[in-house]
Amino acid sequence: MADLLVWIEGTSLATWTRESPSIWAYPTILTLHTVGLGIVVGMSTVVDLRLLGYGRRIPLDAIVGLFRMIAWAFALNAVTGVLLFMSDATTKGRQPVLYIKLSLIALALWNTVIARRIVGEQDGESSRNRLVAVTSLVLWAAAITAGRLMAYV
Amino acid sequence: MNRRRWTALGVLAVATAALLMVAPVIAHHSSAPFYDSTKTVEAQGTVTRFLFKNPHSFLYFDADENGKKVEWQIELGAAGGLTRTGWTPDTLKPGTPIKASGRPSRAEGSHGMCCAKITRPDGTPIVSGGRVTDEQQPPR
Repeated sequence: MADLLVWIEGTSLATWTRESPSIWAYPTILTLHTVGLGIVVGMSTVVDLRLLGYGRRIPLDAIVGLFRMIAWAFALNAVTGVLLFMSDATTKGRQPVLYIKLSLIALALWNTVIARRIVGEQDGESSRNRLVAVTSLVLWAAAITAGRLMAYV
Repeated sequence: MNRRRWTALGVLAVATAALLMVAPVIAHHSSAPFYDSTKTVEAQGTVTRFLFKNPHSFLYFDADENGKKVEWQIELGAAGGLTRTGWTPDTLKPGTPIKASGRPSRAEGSHGMCCAKITRPDGTPIVSGGRVTDEQQPPR
């Protein structure tokens, strides 16, 4: 494991991300990661609020398209996240909070798949659907918190 | 939300943005959790390692403290920021004598500082023509 992390950090891609003074290296990758986060969590929040009863005049089939946007933004964050991890693998790979963050994201994505089915099937309001929405809001907030804590713990 | 609330929210957002703009010490995040900005430490020694990297660079140097060798760590800005101030990965080669003063690390028993003013031991700039004032030194 330790050897693998050292190897990852030593690859030319990781070295470029870490050591290039270019604005197109680390600053751009980190910015895209933040923009992607805004889209994923922002769009998820729209869906969650709708499932909680806000904007009932908007038919559910009108927001199905948001899941596509969530998927693309998530792909952007997976790629930029891997780059950021690689650049500092020996440190980040040993941070428990990273694994907490990844677990929270996995749970949130699983929950998003359920929300996608609810919206796709035009399943109306129910306490179960509200639970899915609240779970989504809580999991994403927790994942963001864990991610931000990586810089501090 | 009614219009008055939206207006209040807008004013709050603008005020926050303005506050952030006039507070350059918050370069991208505060150093306060890690460093004590009410104190200053100074040390002199020779450079052992200079990690020129993102998101933060680090400079290590050995100093003599009452006959004992201690390793200091200075947290610096990102590679791009250092480059704009005229520094390169080769600016501080191992063996270069330096003097540094900055905010001490809050970690008990550690020898770390940030927001440092780094000069040659006689107080002259590291890079010829470089700046030596605290507030212009990398990092912030």
